[in-house]
Amino acid sequence: MTKISNGKNIEAGAPHWIEWITGAASGIIVVGVIVWIGKDGFLDRDTSPNLHGKVVQIDERSDGFQVLFSIENASSATASQVKILGEIREQGSVLESKETILDYVPGHSKAGGGLIFRQNPTGRELEVRATAFSEP
Amino acid sequence: MSIATTREDFDNRKFFAGIARGIAGALLFALPMLMTMEMWQLGVYMDRSRLLLLLLVNIPLLIILSDRVGFEETSTWRQAIRDASIAYALGIVSCALILVAMGVIKQDQSAHEIIGMIALQAVPASIGAMLGRSQLGGQSDNRNDEAGGNDDDPVHERETGYAGELFLMAVGALFLNLNVAPTEEMILLSYKMTPWHALVIIAASLAVMHGFVYALSFRGSHDLAEGTPSWHAFVRFTLPGYLIACLISAYCLWTFHRTDDIGSTQILMTIVILSFPGAIGAAAARLIL
Repeated sequence: MTKISNGKNIEAGAPHWIEWITGAASGIIVVGVIVWIGKDGFLDRDTSPNLHGKVVQIDERSDGFQVLFSIENASSATASQVKILGEIREQGSVLESKETILDYVPGHSKAGGGLIFRQNPTGRELEVRATAFSEP
Repeated sequence: MSIATTREDFDNRKFFAGIARGIAGALLFALPMLMTMEMWQLGVYMDRSRLLLLLLVNIPLLIILSDRVGFEETSTWRQAIRDASIAYALGIVSCALILVAMGVIKQDQSAHEIIGMIALQAVPASIGAMLGRSQLGGQSDNRNDEAGGNDDDPVHERETGYAGELFLMAVGALFLNLNVAPTEEMILLSYKMTPWHALVIIAASLAVMHGFVYALSFRGSHDLAEGTPSWHAFVRFTLPGYLIACLISAYCLWTFHRTDDIGSTQILMTIVILSFPGAIGAAAARLIL
């Protein structure tokens, strides 16, 4: 409890036990956060991202075939301005390719987007992968 | 500012001065956000259930804020609710006017976009309106009305409960957080930082927060009762205050879609960097409010 007297705030000398419980619980959580981040500081020291693309869903839309994809980053290093290339192939040759850019793929996280093809990718070979990135 | 209890007591000049202060407060606190591109975009695309939750959470927050800092001794819950609705309405109206004036809202936009943008901006603006009515003015009026201009009246004592102190810290943290949480810089900073940078930021946040309230001799700073060791205040006020700043940061980041599909350590780092301004806001609120 805080007493305000003549514009001065004086914390009570004998506080309620709830104040101590709250303080102790907060302290434990703050220490927990510090330990968690510190653990990653020691153990998770990747220096470059590790990106892997995956097709999530294909929908037929009015302007073509919309392919939703996700890019997973298995490393703890973040990639920014990630260039994504999607290709439809048939018997080894590329029928159609589309590109987009993701702002960020953070460490141990996912990011996603969509590519719109004119040709139907079902039954053909469809690949979505990251081709370039920059460091944030 | 006094409150009219009957029709005869109603003072036009005071009422409009109160409204003007509210608008001034809304501008003071919301203009940085009204001029932030990410806030316009969020108003358009953010998940409507998260926006609705933010709008609903704002209602009890304004009511409690009104009860605590609005009109102090004379306040009842009915008056607090009335003032909270006025502040919310002032926030909505001033945001709508400014967004239209700046050309952010145009005729050809859908109602979905326009309402989303105004609703999101109205939250910080309404808190600003509430604080503006109580903090920008009122004090000089009050002194003249209540004590007849007698400024050296020695009896000015009031007790703030523990929950009240924590609430004030939450409001302060929310305020600074809302200013920076929607910007891309927050996530970019967390990507640039290593875990070691994050640990330094945690230590700095705690030190600055404690220093703001106890060590530096600002007006409104806090002292301990005689014979109490200083770590008591650190455990009872600074640590819970920092935790509150962290929780408010987490809520803001979640509301603004900054935690979607992100790994847990990366989320923690973003919370830590956003809690830095939040902690300073929380400490400042204890001094000012």
